[in-house]
Amino acid sequence: MKAATWTGVNEVSVEEVPEPQLLNDHDVILKVTQSVTCGSDLHLLGGYIPFMRAGDVLGHEFIGEIVEVGSAVRHRKVGDRVVGAPFAACGNCWYCEQEQYSLCDNGNANPGITEGLWGQSPGGCLGYSHAMGGYAGSHAEYIRVPYADVGTFVVPEGISDTRALFASDAASTGWMGADLAGTEPGDVVAVWGAGGVGQMAARAAMLLGAEQVVVVDRFAERLQQVREHVGAETIDYSSTDVLAELRERTGGRGPDVCIEAVGMEAHSSGAAGVYDQVKQQLRLQTDRPTALREAVMACRKGGSIFTLGVFAAMVDKFPLGALMNKGITLRGAQVHAQRYIPELLERMERGELTTEHLATHVLPLSEAPRGYQMFKDKEDGCVRAVFTPGG
Amino acid sequence: MPLSDILARAAGLASEAGSGALKQLQHVRLPGVGQASATDDPQTAARRWRAVTVLTDPDQLRSATPAPLTRFGDRVEIRVTPAPGDRGAELAARFREPVGEDDLGELRSALREAKQRIETGEVLRNEPQPHGHRKQTPQGEALDGMVERAPKEGVL
Repeated sequence: MKAATWTGVNEVSVEEVPEPQLLNDHDVILKVTQSVTCGSDLHLLGGYIPFMRAGDVLGHEFIGEIVEVGSAVRHRKVGDRVVGAPFAACGNCWYCEQEQYSLCDNGNANPGITEGLWGQSPGGCLGYSHAMGGYAGSHAEYIRVPYADVGTFVVPEGISDTRALFASDAASTGWMGADLAGTEPGDVVAVWGAGGVGQMAARAAMLLGAEQVVVVDRFAERLQQVREHVGAETIDYSSTDVLAELRERTGGRGPDVCIEAVGMEAHSSGAAGVYDQVKQQLRLQTDRPTALREAVMACRKGGSIFTLGVFAAMVDKFPLGALMNKGITLRGAQVHAQRYIPELLERMERGELTTEHLATHVLPLSEAPRGYQMFKDKEDGCVRAVFTPGG
Repeated sequence: MPLSDILARAAGLASEAGSGALKQLQHVRLPGVGQASATDDPQTAARRWRAVTVLTDPDQLRSATPAPLTRFGDRVEIRVTPAPGDRGAELAARFREPVGEDDLGELRSALREAKQRIETGEVLRNEPQPHGHRKQTPQGEALDGMVERAPKEGVL
């Protein structure tokens, strides 16, 4: 079958690879209908997460049709149109019972790597390096999904593929940030990053009752999408002092909730951005926490911050003093998609949550290298490149 | 050469060196890298109980030694205690006599397999996976070594 693979730093190829097999009784094989690029893939592409092997199949946000079912699968059948969760979660361990699915004890077959890095191993993520389980990803004609009763969700007939596709990760991640940050009716919420996840976090905050939602980015077309499709306010950080602007818009308090949807390759127009770039490129720090630093300084006293952007290891010049003295709560997580997808599909069916505008470029899988290049360089207003392995 | 190319080249070299170092960290216990025993001497480290928390009834777990652990016979002691907060049971094991890293790796792997069999009914497999051409590079070979050892390494 055809698949889009990582073949080296900033190299994506389309190769002929073997079809996946059922390896466990809880597996299904999915014929992938649509699979979409995610900002977190860029960290893999750029070599910032050095656990990719040449030939690894990329992709973790997808929708498709079940074509083969393992003997222990009880609630899915051949022919089901399903959206898949990025993280493999067993559904039976204590973490899954707490609905913290991305922390599943039984989802990562390579726990020694992540335990060495982080002291504990989170679950495994499809198409996201050997540190996260070594699973082949969804940018392929077929994908194996482990623990399928837990990790796949039947899509109601009334929802289009492209709308449901983003329930897999962008919408569930965004929703998780707004939810677990403790967004309450009347809150002011600021979101750093107007990509797919940031836009969905902003929309989630609004649906959870936030009175004012502000999204920070520098790309005009993305900020325009935020205003038109999400209905939130925007700040262009390339031309505006973000901290001053947020203070002015919030009566001097700062946002109650800050959601960081940028991750380890944050940009900045100031000296801090240059400092972080140089230190990261020389591997003197692994991650650039520019947006997270700004969120800490912007957040109101006693507020909360949730980091949705992916970070790998160490950051430098983190304002821990501000965090502690302002009484801020900082949380983060990989996506507990299984917890949110059912509710998101319901909201999508009711039309409360629309995502089609994120799919700015829909391409055949054979054009995956070009799709990633456009996505990485934000060419032609690319917010997300969606691949259609079926043609 | 532009600055960005120089930085990218430096990053590539550092990345390769870093992967080699990470492979070594799977075998060397160093303070602060998340490994099982950062400052213990080898004898103390080998005698520590290695434990997984299993979401199951402790009494049921006590009734029979989980299959992956039976292969060690009398070489290991096994302890089952209730976990606090309705988290199930703490399943712990340790060797009665001093052993080397290979034996400890086997025990880590067996404990993880025992937990998976009890909680999910099977042991998760991730091979074979579809993949494209595997270029032979030092970084790739270092990663292959890490992956091969990963089920037997970590903080357990």
